[in-house]
Amino acid sequence: MRLTPELTIFGIFLMLSAVAICTLVAIAFAAHGPVVAQTAVQSPGYRLRRVWFRGLAIIAVVGFLLSLPAFPYHTRSQPASSQHHPVTALQFAFVVPPVLPLDTPIVLDVTATDVNHGVGIYDPDGRIVAQVQAMPGYTNSLPLALKKPGQYTVLCMEYCGIAHHLMRATFEVR
Amino acid sequence: MSDTIETLVKSVHRDLQSNRTAKRVMWLYIGSGLTLVGVMILVGLGMRMAQGGMHTFQPGLFYSLMTLHGGAMMVGMALCGMGLLWYLFTLEGPLNPITAVVACALILIGAVLVAISALVGGFGAAWTFLYPLPFVGTYWPSWATGAFLAGIAFVVLGWTVWCLQMLGGVLTRYGGLRGAFAWDLVWSPSKCASSGRTPPPPQAFAVLVAAVDGLLAGSAGMLVGVALFVRWLDPTLPLDPLWVKNLTYIFGHTLANLTIYMPLAAVYVALPRYTHHRYWHTSAVLAVAWWATLVFVAIAYFHHLYMDFAQPRAVQYIGQAASYLAAFPPAVVTIFGGALLVYRSGFRWTLGSMFLYVGMIGWTVGGIGALLDATVAFNIYFHNTLWVVAHFHTYLLEGAMLFVLGWVFHCLEERSGATSSRAVRTLIGVGVFGGGAWLLLGWYLAGAQGVPRRYALQPAPGMEISWWASLGGIVLIVGLVLCGIEAIRLARRPARQEISVA
Repeated sequence: MRLTPELTIFGIFLMLSAVAICTLVAIAFAAHGPVVAQTAVQSPGYRLRRVWFRGLAIIAVVGFLLSLPAFPYHTRSQPASSQHHPVTALQFAFVVPPVLPLDTPIVLDVTATDVNHGVGIYDPDGRIVAQVQAMPGYTNSLPLALKKPGQYTVLCMEYCGIAHHLMRATFEVR
Repeated sequence: MSDTIETLVKSVHRDLQSNRTAKRVMWLYIGSGLTLVGVMILVGLGMRMAQGGMHTFQPGLFYSLMTLHGGAMMVGMALCGMGLLWYLFTLEGPLNPITAVVACALILIGAVLVAISALVGGFGAAWTFLYPLPFVGTYWPSWATGAFLAGIAFVVLGWTVWCLQMLGGVLTRYGGLRGAFAWDLVWSPSKCASSGRTPPPPQAFAVLVAAVDGLLAGSAGMLVGVALFVRWLDPTLPLDPLWVKNLTYIFGHTLANLTIYMPLAAVYVALPRYTHHRYWHTSAVLAVAWWATLVFVAIAYFHHLYMDFAQPRAVQYIGQAASYLAAFPPAVVTIFGGALLVYRSGFRWTLGSMFLYVGMIGWTVGGIGALLDATVAFNIYFHNTLWVVAHFHTYLLEGAMLFVLGWVFHCLEERSGATSSRAVRTLIGVGVFGGGAWLLLGWYLAGAQGVPRRYALQPAPGMEISWWASLGGIVLIVGLVLCGIEAIRLARRPARQEISVA
């Protein structure tokens, strides 16, 4: 199992969850210690809460700002010369270009002809590298640059009917 | 003197009757809700085992069961929270039990119609029935779509009746919006103190938020339901899929969130009763936290549309900000407050208190998973993968459901004066928490490897993980069965006293 960004996030999740569980379990065990009046724990408790609130607020603001550059929406920073490639989803197939260029900024113009679908793009190692919804009547423009050569797989990421799980396509990147 | 005593006795008798009626209404809601939840847990395990290759469901049956599982689980959890809040509010002010029974009946009729649509008609558009799916490329007859939409309409109607009754009750009891929101406590605390009026208790804020956000969600649900119903009658009617999707998620997201916030009232009311003279009182901080919940729960739904690039860009940023901000009230006020309440309190551990406390842990863990998913940069990898299934099952199974079970056992323990032995608590704890964690971990792990959700047959490594996770599901169900047996044992014991405040 390779360490991918997704598994790193999974690791962060496990670590944060472990901290939360251990803290709350430790407090549960502390419930059996000498009984203290409510007024005696409120004052230090409220001070701690202020610190906790400020700490969380800092984490939330910093996290929000750090995440902004990774927003995947088609921005003005995308080179104007980027090639646009149409992708169409329909029950139960994708129409995708057979070949896409390696490590080149491109834009996939994604739509659907019948119901909502999702276009999940998996690299040759089976890692999800990008996704976007495909909706009838709308075109979602997904900017991306495919970094690895080889065969990519497209899976449907929005439930679309009885053969949803069979809906897939492949394309080559070189 | 004898007249006074007679009046007093009559008054106590009336209160006793009224309390018994209120309890019957509460058990009607919680009993039907938990029955639905229990059956749907079995259906869910069946689907998980099929994904693990332990047996086979034809895809049509799988997706029909998936639709039923999602819809009925939402209804079941909502019924539990509604009954609990309704009963707790009757301790504060009068509510008409007939209205509550009518609301419950409407919801149950809706649930039956949804079940007929899925099990008889084979309707399988998922409980989110994302337009145009219910009408295009279907493998079920047209009447099943109509029955499903009618079922949703009944559920929304019953829900709206309940919300209106609760909103009316809370506004009447606490002096309009200003009183119900504890406006003076926050902005003019000295004026509030000198007036002698006490602010609403913490659980009243759960009632207020459920009613207000519930009416918003119900209106969106009714609007989209009517639009789809007309589309069902007239297939030429044009509808905008993005507009329908927004409305569908205002309805679905808000309702799903409220199923967690509603049973939270049990924590406010019951948790202090296991401590040594500690109380959960309404402060300005708590009031502001619930105001924030009211706003952010309603607008955080945008995170369901992160991958719809046609949405206005601004709402994607609002979605992430609102999702982050929605986490503050639970993290800083409710869970922190619960932990502070328990700390060095001489806390009495019973099955009821254990469920309530562990429910807060489950809510926290599910919240961490949800927050990571609500970050757009990570949502690229997790959107509509099993990660989503993982975090909402965490705070439903190991959060909201535990709050409800905690309340049920609290009532049974108060009534009988008996508690469960340490051995029974340990066995149930291993089953419900251990089995539950094992089951949930499978979804998180598969989600982190990009396995999509709502697949009858999953790509690798989904099937292998599902097989192992199913074993955790079986352990969880064994724990819940033990829990049911213990509940029956406590319920069959004679009542400790006639008047219980629970």
